[in-house]
Amino acid sequence: MLVIVVENAPPRLRGRLAVWLIEARAGVYVGAYSRRTRERIWEEVQGAIGEGNAVLAWSAPTDAGFTIETCGANRRIPVDLDGFTLMSFLPPAEVKGAKNR
Amino acid sequence: MSDPAARRDPRDGMPGLAPPRPLPLKDRSSIIFIEYGQIDVIDGAFVVIDANGVRTQIPVGGFVCLMLEPGTRLSHAAAALAARAGTLIVFVGEAGVRLYSTGQPGGARADRLLYQARLALDDELRLNVVRKMFEMRFKESAPDRRSVEQLRGVEGARVKRIYELLAHQHGVNWRRRDYDPSNWDVSDVPNRCVSAATACLHGLAEAAVLAAGYAPAIGFLHTGKPLSFVYDVADLFKFETVVPVAFEIAGKAAKGRLHDEPTRAVRRACRDSFRRANLLERLIPAIEEALAAGGIDKPAPPEDAVGPAFTDGEQSGDAGHRG
Repeated sequence: MLVIVVENAPPRLRGRLAVWLIEARAGVYVGAYSRRTRERIWEEVQGAIGEGNAVLAWSAPTDAGFTIETCGANRRIPVDLDGFTLMSFLPPAEVKGAKNR
Repeated sequence: MSDPAARRDPRDGMPGLAPPRPLPLKDRSSIIFIEYGQIDVIDGAFVVIDANGVRTQIPVGGFVCLMLEPGTRLSHAAAALAARAGTLIVFVGEAGVRLYSTGQPGGARADRLLYQARLALDDELRLNVVRKMFEMRFKESAPDRRSVEQLRGVEGARVKRIYELLAHQHGVNWRRRDYDPSNWDVSDVPNRCVSAATACLHGLAEAAVLAAGYAPAIGFLHTGKPLSFVYDVADLFKFETVVPVAFEIAGKAAKGRLHDEPTRAVRRACRDSFRRANLLERLIPAIEEALAAGGIDKPAPPEDAVGPAFTDGEQSGDAGHRG
């Protein structure tokens, strides 16, 4: 299972994601694919996200049961706490410098 | 939103994006039927728009096969997008009677076409393949010293018994397998269920044959039809997946316990059975296994052949997919 959420993404990327995934809500894409396919889809997102931002979450055999990856600038930043991923929400002023990886 | 003209064409509408490349079949969902609507491409996505203007996006690259029923119109851009995504589009009549298919170009692998043709042309190799298919179907080796014609007879008798057994199990009144592709209404309900179910399987089998890089028309047990090889491949899985499902639904219909139209119920149940049987992961390996029984290797390119001027990148889908 994988979920991709995009914000401020160009229409061409949103259309492209809909070639493989279901757009359950505006910018929320759901599907179930292998690792290889997931990585390919994520590469497309990274290549075409432009000024927008995106987050990918997928089922994984981690303690939490899933893994998160992001691209583009956003106030929410994943932080790793001894192997468990949480999200930090930055104050407004700091967003510009905080480029997600 | 970009202007309407730019939204029409998947290439023009996608500046800066490479075309969507095919996914391997085993990663995809099986099949969906689309009825009534204009099928088009909007912002690079495959979209069905019905008479009320309701738009439904179809994750075209996530399916093996799209079945377009009467009442659908397909745009040029949508057909191009399906081809890019390596998805087979089949135009079907009532309950899956196949009219025409497009969307996934075949013949991408000359080495496999030649290999398949050599197997089919040599009597001994062809018999080896037919015997292997018999073994894969019935889980026992084919009787010795039989010709293809004789094996076909043995198989027919077995199939007849399976039909009778399933009919008995599900309380279905079964006379024989009887259908007229040109006149759907003359068949009884159990026969219609079997036809609808096999139509689904044939769609998947054709997509698998093309994705593996082989020719649908070059069959071994079946010959002389555009989809002979597809029928051969579908038969390997028919009695494990779709036929029991068809009888189960027909049995429910006979007892008045079916709340849906039989054909719809059959399709739904077929999808479940494909998933349970792990069909999409097994189709292409099964094709390779059956052909390998011929006992020859795929031909090497001739020594005096001119190589390609440039090499393609890494293959994204299956061997027979382009891109």
